[in-house]
Formats: sequence, structure tokens, C-alpha cells
Amino acid sequence: MIHTKPEVVFQGNGVSQGIALGSALKLDSYNRVIFKMLIDDASVQAEIQRVRQAIQTSREQLAGLKLRLQEKLGPEHSYILDVHILMLEDKSLVADIESIIRDHHANAEWAVRLATDRIRNAYQSLDDEYFRERVSDIENIVERILLNLTGDAPVSWSPLPQDLVIVAHDFNPSTFATMDLRKVRALALESGGRTSHTAIIARSLRLPAVMEIKGFLSTVTTGDFILVNADEGQLILNPSEARLAKMLPRIEASRQQAAAEAVQQPADTVVTRDGHRVYLLANTELPHDVREAKKYGAEGIGLFRSEFLFFAHPKGFPGMSEQLETYKMLAQEMAPHPVAVRTLDAGGDKTWTRTGNAAEPNPSMGLRGIRLSLRAQDQFAIQVEAIFRASAYGKLEIVLPMISTIEELWEAKKLISQVRSSIRLEGNGMPDPVRIGAMIEVPAAVLTLDRLAREVDFLCVGTNDLIQYLMAVDRDNPQVSHLFQPLHPSVLQCLGRIAATAASLKKPARICGEMSSNPFFAVLFLGMGFNQLSMNPSFIPAIRPVARGVTVRAARKLFDRAMAYATSQEIAEYLIAEVSKMVRVELTPFIREIRGSLRGNGGGTAGR
Amino acid sequence: MIRQILVVENGLGLHARAAAKLVHLASRFQSEVRLAREGRAETMDAKNILGILMLAAGRGTRLMVSINGPDEVEAGEAILQLFAGRFGEDF
Repeated sequence: MIHTKPEVVFQGNGVSQGIALGSALKLDSYNRVIFKMLIDDASVQAEIQRVRQAIQTSREQLAGLKLRLQEKLGPEHSYILDVHILMLEDKSLVADIESIIRDHHANAEWAVRLATDRIRNAYQSLDDEYFRERVSDIENIVERILLNLTGDAPVSWSPLPQDLVIVAHDFNPSTFATMDLRKVRALALESGGRTSHTAIIARSLRLPAVMEIKGFLSTVTTGDFILVNADEGQLILNPSEARLAKMLPRIEASRQQAAAEAVQQPADTVVTRDGHRVYLLANTELPHDVREAKKYGAEGIGLFRSEFLFFAHPKGFPGMSEQLETYKMLAQEMAPHPVAVRTLDAGGDKTWTRTGNAAEPNPSMGLRGIRLSLRAQDQFAIQVEAIFRASAYGKLEIVLPMISTIEELWEAKKLISQVRSSIRLEGNGMPDPVRIGAMIEVPAAVLTLDRLAREVDFLCVGTNDLIQYLMAVDRDNPQVSHLFQPLHPSVLQCLGRIAATAASLKKPARICGEMSSNPFFAVLFLGMGFNQLSMNPSFIPAIRPVARGVTVRAARKLFDRAMAYATSQEIAEYLIAEVSKMVRVELTPFIREIRGSLRGNGGGTAGR
Repeated sequence: MIRQILVVENGLGLHARAAAKLVHLASRFQSEVRLAREGRAETMDAKNILGILMLAAGRGTRLMVSINGPDEVEAGEAILQLFAGRFGEDF
């Protein structure tokens, strides 16, 4: 059945390189995973009963809704609910669902998805727009049946088939934490963008990803054969034999490249040509990223984004012992190198939809980061306790996100020290102190850094958030994303100021943003005076020869001269011309990335 | 077995609300009621709304109805009236 459907090519924005082939797995608006699970003979009847029950419950809910609507608006307006109820009662639909369960030994969720996908496809082929639009009514009842089937329970990914291409309108980054990544070959989204959190993670996972593919989703059905060519920003539905024959060598090459990069690279000290020690660290999201960090020779985890422990947790708040296990594993794996655990930074584009956070009109300026932690002090205390206890097994650091004022630091430090004195380790002693760092990502913190920095042991710069707040731009809003300019003079001035203040107070300062994974930015950072760059571990092999190949003196001069320009464009062209002379590294993909960032999109992804 | 051509005469065609009325009506009878666009072989069960909507029967569409069962005469009469009364819509 693979090649009976015509080939359709959709153009989007390739945000994570690579080419991959797989079958579509469509996620709904809640990123609910409708997975196929084989059930045994004995369970078929129970599964049919389960789906009947869900349909019955859905019907009762709609009947109740209809009554309420009639009371409010009169019978004229409740007819659409009548239509939905009739759709639920439609014998052909029910029979279809039941026969899929029976014939395919499929679970109820999969059967509902498959049966309704078929109907949806049939409707979409209609000429009349009104009737075609009934698809939305069908989606509406499917949503309700699935909700009644699965409830709010987190879905297990384990029964998923192999070689999947995830397709969705948007993708909650937290879903990564629950996925079995060995089965996922690529990601294709209608929304998103190169700087979205999901894109960042896709790159770190080396998962080919195409985003901003307008209006493709309604054409795709779970199980469809899909070729994702992220190098060219394309999604090809039902690729033709001819195309496959042409692409297979490239798919194979893409796979081999990923495998070659998987060869372990030893941790290795990095020193610039004029003798300055540089630390290349890893940003990680998921606990098992630690393997990547070690593989690419990171000298520590510069930023462990602990949100993912929380997102992946069904209740939203993992307990002390659960967190302890993860931090302990990280500390042990990375020892003797440090692991910086950023305390929960929920909010902004990292909201978790199903477990709490009341909707805020302006989440990136709302209750997030340290603000939330100081409000939910019990949860903060649990996390801090887990870090202290785990620090017995290696070297852990605490990083406090979203610091805007010195009072926040005082309060957080007070809580941290209270937690520490409340802990009695086995030998009945208190745990050793843990180094505390502040995320510098709010402009207010940059301007008052000479005071804030005295309160902490080190500084971490979150470049993405800093640019967002500095330029007052929502990086995920395509209308204004052209203003998300990493090379804007104001951004460089801020970063230079952070490095200078940190140096004058002898506090280590670390760049923890996506920017450090681009050689052009990396050289600038060295020129500003940063000597710790934390990045997606897979970029460390690209940055290592850059750091070794330059002198801090020359980088400093480069930074000073770049500051003389007025626009991002001029600075970008200056950097491209100069850095290309300074380092002998393949820079083409990074040039593409820099030029892409000037247009407000990637125009490609950062290279390897 | 009754077979007859019916013409959709109401302004909106056999849209969601009209289809719901047809399904409700057909479901009151024991007989099997099937509809097809005139000249097409594919028939739809008039008791199942998803099939009715799939006919995409706009105004002026000619449909072949076939009714088969113990109360087919009554069913045919009722369905004929529903179409003739333009599904109770005023246009």
C-alpha cells in the first residue's frame, strides 16, 4: 500500500540536519501518543468493551452538553451536538473500530485513530468545501473518545513500532523525555522554528527535523511513509520509487555519519594558542544525555536543565529520592568533572500544560524560574536536598534561573543553607557546601552584575533568554523573530560587560546558550573573556579545534572591532570574513546559520 | 423493495442538520434505507450520518433511495415527505 498514494512534497525549515525515512506517527494537540499495541486473543473482547464504554461515555457527555445548550440558546443551536452524537452512534464507524481491534489485534486507541483517519481522508477528497469541513466535527468526537479511553494517564511509548517520523502541529519538548528515541528517526512540525526548544533538543539528539511546514498535517495519516530531508527543509509524503532510489545513498550516508560521530572522543584539555585554558562543557536535557556529554569529551555538564525530570513525571513533581537517583547518576558518570543542575525553570516556552501552571497571559515574563521556586518553596527545598545528597557522589553545582534582583539571590541562598543544615548524612554530618551560580538572562541582572556576582560562586549566561528580553522579542513569533539577533550590538555589549565584571570579581563565567556551538560566536566569547562554553555536546568536536586554533589576544581584537559596527548584518559579515582567516575548520554550515539568523530563521541548521 | 429518485431542494443541501434529521427518521424504521448519488453504485446507509455526509449532496443533487424491509412503504413515505418539506427549512 506504500506506493499507491501520490507523492507530495512540503517545504518547511530544516532545523536539524539529516535525512531519514520512516512511518508517520501523528501526535494530537496534547502530544498524546496514539500507539499501536498488539493485544492477545483473550484481550480482544475486553478491548472492544473498553472502546464501547468510551463511546458510550462520550455520548452521555454530549447529551448532557446538548441539554445545557438547549436551555441556554434553544433547540436551534444544539443541532451540531446532535450531529456529533449521531457520529458516535454511526454503526459503520463503530464496526470499523471493532474490526480493526479484532483483525489487527490492535489496542482501542490505535483502532479509533486508524478508523477515523480513514474517514477523515475520505472527507478530505470531497469537492464540496462544506462537506470537506466536517472533518473538524469528526476530529472533535475522536478527541473526546480518546480522552475517555486514555484519560489523563501518561502513555507508554514502549509498544511503538520501529522507524517513526513524529508529525504534529507543535511538539512539547517535554515529550522527548518520555519517548523511546531509538525508534524515532525524524521530526516534522507545522509550528516551531530554529530557536525553539524542540529544535535545540532535536539537534542535540541528531534527530533530523523540519519545522514550519504549513498546513501539511491534515494530509498525513499515522502509518504513512515519509521521507524527511532536513538538509533541504523538505518533507516528502509517500516518496516515489524514483526519489527513494536517488535518496537512499544519502540516507545511508546520513546514518553512517551519525554512527561515525558516535565514536567516543576522550575528554581533553583545551588550551588556546596563547596558553589560555578553555573549558568545553555540555548542556543536557535528559538524564541519558550524559552519555553524549562523555562521548564528545565534555569537561563537565555546564547546564543540566532539570525541567525534564518534572515534565516527564506524571504528577509534575518527582520526589526527593527520584531526583536524587538522577543527580547521583549524573555526578557519578561525570566525575571528576562538575555537573551544574539548574533548578526548575518552568515557564516561558517551557510550560508544562497538563500538570499545573495556571495559564498566564505573558508566561515568559511571568511566574517562572526562581520566581516560581521562591513561591513553591517546598518543591525547591526537595530539589536542593536531592542535589546536596547526590553531591556526595561527585561534583554538583546549583544554578538559579531567571535572577532579576539581589533579594531573590538572598532568599534562595537562605533556603539552600537551611536545607543543607537540615540534612544529616550517614556519618551524621552535614553535606559539604555546593557551589551556587546565577543564570544571567534578565537585562536587570546584567546592569547590576557587580553586586549580584558577589553573592554567587559563578555565573551562567543564558544567551537565548537574554537576547529575548534584551530585544523584547518572542523568538517563536515569526512576525518578529527577525529581531532575535544574537549579533546585535546591544547583545554583544551586554555579554562583554558580563565577562568584564566577572573577571574583575574573579568569578568564573560560563556561556550556556546555543550560541556557543557556533565557531563564530565561540571566538567572540573567547575575545570577551569567557573561558567556559557550554553547548550541545555534539558540537564540542567542532568547537574544540576552533578554541585551540585561536589566540585570546586576536579574539579580543576581533570583539573590539566588531563592536564598532552598528548592525547585526555588518557584524556578521565582519565575523565571517575574519574568523575564516583565523581558524582552519569547515565553516560553511555555520556561515549559513549566521546568515539565517539575520533573516529570523535558521535557513539551515548549525553544522556538524 | 422501494427505489426512487429524490432531489435535494433545500438551500443548504443535505448538510449536517438535514442529515441528522434524515438519520433520526430512517432509524425509526426497521427497513434498511440506503442512498446513492444518481448514477453511482456506491450506496450509503441512511441510518449512519458519516455516510450521509459523504454523499456531499448539495442543493439540486439527485439521490437514489432504496428501502427494503417490512415497513418499507411507511419508511418511503416518511422520507419522501422529509425531502419534499425541504427538511423543515424555510428556503
